[in-house]
Amino acid sequence: MSDQTKYANQIAVVKQECPDADEGEIGKEFARYEGDFLIPPEDALRSVIRKFQVSTGVEVPTSSSTPVREEKNVGRFSELDADDRNITIEVAVVSYTPRTQMVRGEEKQIAFGWIEDNPHVASSERVRWDYKDWGNKGESMIPGSIVRLEGASVNEWNGKRSLNINRTTRVTVVKEGGGTAPPSGNEPLTIAKASEVEGFVNLVGRVISAKPDVIVRKDGSGEIPIVRGKIADSSGSIGFLSWKEFDHEEGALIKIVGASVRKFRETPEIQINDGTVIETYRDTAFPDVAELVESEKVSIADLRNGMRDISITLQIENWAQRTFEGQDGDSRVVRSGDVMDPTGRCRLTAWCDFDPKPGETIRIEGGRVQFWQGSPDLVIDNLEQVSNLSDSPWEKIDPENHWVEVDLTDITQGGSRRGISTSGTIVAINSGSGIIERCPECRRMLRDGTCSEHGAQRGEEDLRLRFVLDNGVSNANLFLGKGPAEDFLGMEMEEIKSEISSIGKEVFVSNLRRRVLARKMSVHGRCAVDEQGAMLFADRVALLEPRPVEEAEKVMEKWEVVL
Amino acid sequence: MISNSGSRRSRQSAVRIFAQEYSESSLIERGLGEYDPSFVITKLGAKVNRCLICGGLERMERRDGDSGPFYRGQVRDPSGTHYFDVAPFQPELHPDAEELLARFETGDSILVSIVGRQKSNESEDGGIFTSIRAESFTEIDMESYKSWLVEAADATLRRLEAYAASQGAELTEESLGGAGVPSDLVSGMIKSREHYSEFDTEAYRVWILKAFSRALGRAEELPEISISNDSRPADVPPAESAESADPRDVILGIMSSSGGDLVEYEDLFSACISAGSSAEAAEDAIEHLRDVTMEISEPKFGFFSSSS
Repeated sequence: MSDQTKYANQIAVVKQECPDADEGEIGKEFARYEGDFLIPPEDALRSVIRKFQVSTGVEVPTSSSTPVREEKNVGRFSELDADDRNITIEVAVVSYTPRTQMVRGEEKQIAFGWIEDNPHVASSERVRWDYKDWGNKGESMIPGSIVRLEGASVNEWNGKRSLNINRTTRVTVVKEGGGTAPPSGNEPLTIAKASEVEGFVNLVGRVISAKPDVIVRKDGSGEIPIVRGKIADSSGSIGFLSWKEFDHEEGALIKIVGASVRKFRETPEIQINDGTVIETYRDTAFPDVAELVESEKVSIADLRNGMRDISITLQIENWAQRTFEGQDGDSRVVRSGDVMDPTGRCRLTAWCDFDPKPGETIRIEGGRVQFWQGSPDLVIDNLEQVSNLSDSPWEKIDPENHWVEVDLTDITQGGSRRGISTSGTIVAINSGSGIIERCPECRRMLRDGTCSEHGAQRGEEDLRLRFVLDNGVSNANLFLGKGPAEDFLGMEMEEIKSEISSIGKEVFVSNLRRRVLARKMSVHGRCAVDEQGAMLFADRVALLEPRPVEEAEKVMEKWEVVL
Repeated sequence: MISNSGSRRSRQSAVRIFAQEYSESSLIERGLGEYDPSFVITKLGAKVNRCLICGGLERMERRDGDSGPFYRGQVRDPSGTHYFDVAPFQPELHPDAEELLARFETGDSILVSIVGRQKSNESEDGGIFTSIRAESFTEIDMESYKSWLVEAADATLRRLEAYAASQGAELTEESLGGAGVPSDLVSGMIKSREHYSEFDTEAYRVWILKAFSRALGRAEELPEISISNDSRPADVPPAESAESADPRDVILGIMSSSGGDLVEYEDLFSACISAGSSAEAAEDAIEHLRDVTMEISEPKFGFFSSSS
């Protein structure tokens, strides 16, 4: 491949800045940087531009009447002026949010977020600005890290200043992300509070479990010995991972100073490093292990991705086993089924010789949670983790009729769950409702006959409805697949298809809006909750008839209103 | 603690709100980042970015602006009037708006439900006029409307309770949370208590009771859907309270200082609002001056000049 083709993107940028430069020469320069200096073209951009600016006489910075473009090296945002270009400053990256934006009719990948100046001191002495990244610097702009920006510019809009990171800006990582915040204060937090924090914490807790473990290095260079376990106080419990020796036994009460809280999937975990101090703590009033373990029991509604060391009681709904070929060519058996408790249902997967019968009640100790199709999946790895209970702690659950009613707000604030029912008002019918085409390879929806993964495809038609369910405080996206959508519309997919082709998609959606907008709907199905919000996948839905008299009486009673 | 609000763009929920609470609001919180939502913060601490409102369609018209046609309308509920528009840049809503306009022009009483985003205009002297940019809307039946009345009353009572709970508390998140203010209202409550002066919540209870009695079918009729051309709605007191200026004087004052230039409807309207008039009184005053005393004229639709 010639330099010109290989570096076409970067060459185009240089040409913008230095129109007179020769493309072949620019290409050579990039090749030189990459081959000789091992500097990839993205990072070489600024240097190359500078070189050609000088050689083609584009820029005469010292004596021109145009705004002075000298490099301005500052420590604080407050030293910047509204028209400053070519700024050098070190900042802490607080957030980085990529987004695709139409710029002059072209789709561009940009990103925005927050940065703070004065990055080497505590956050209270920093100033925070918005920034926009026009140059795809996502690899360096990692939240938590400190970077040096060279060639950034100030943008002022509506009296508010922000920083533009341009394609020609050089971003150098000064300090890698995470762990930048120094331990704050000496007051220990409760475990419940510490679980909400990301960063350094001090806490006091009782060791519930501690087991040596190893982490296998991905590059095959060996194993790292670690200790995994769990500590608890009366507010809750949290898993820990110690990278150094941990010689406190189960039941010991300890004070941990300067541990960091990280999230493993959706579950916070305490990391104990070389800098962390652990000391024995004395408090006779602190709850003992038995008491803490008792309050530790979880139910299906509490499960979150990444949890370990779970104790839970379950009723088996169904069970099956499946044989498949492992990576090493051996055949392996995995057993799995649906399980229930009074708070809902989930899957259970066993990597051991476990064969329960439907209807049996079991107890699991030390299970873990991973996600399967957006829902929690409990996993056990050996038979010692399960025991059969002869007495169920609850009335036997009828699987045919086991729907747990959950308030929409509780759904949005909880974890992903199956077997739930909820209700709310439809406030939007989202685009993509009706007949859509799916990629035959991956089932993604095609846009203009094209799959984002597999390119142009002959799509397979499918039916889907997408609503937004809202109760005034919380909301969730609601998805109806083909079956539930057909049931709700009272038509087969073929009928719906011919209706849409005769009246048009807009009228179809408009009719749908007339039918559902501002109406209350009940939903049975499952939910998946992530940072973007909650999604409901309906097994079935029904519009609820308004009953204003009943509703009014209920609300008046609630607020003690008398007419 | 690293805040994740910068990267999180979850959808704003639709606040159920009566017109009076919304139109009395004068506190606007503009989102700092380009994609951060803006809010109208009401006296009761509701942070309204999106709302779900219902009522009788009182007025609906198409106008032509520089960037294309747009629609404006008013929706009555037991407490007052919501103002909404469908913007030129929402062409996907124009067929439905056109249909609603046609329905309105038949003279039938129409109940509508609107989901929309907060919008606010500030007059030169700092008066705030809140309205709604519709995202979607549809005609609804009486039972659905009554059901919304109950929901909006429920939501308003919840805010009133939170407002009462905030009275003894310090204006911090911890203190308000501890006093029982629901988490979705805490930040709005802090800002509203700092911004608005003390006010009497009794008026809120009056239209909540009206809403209940209508939902229960105890009121003879729903006055908000009887559209009459003799303007002044029945339950609006004819005279405004002593402290507010007569909207007619406000309008004539603007006209005399406009130097013969045309003044837009919205400007007259918001000037009256910021001088203390209710929305109804402001409108009535404009119509009165134009149609009865003929002190002002409307040479171009939506633009007024002094007749003299």
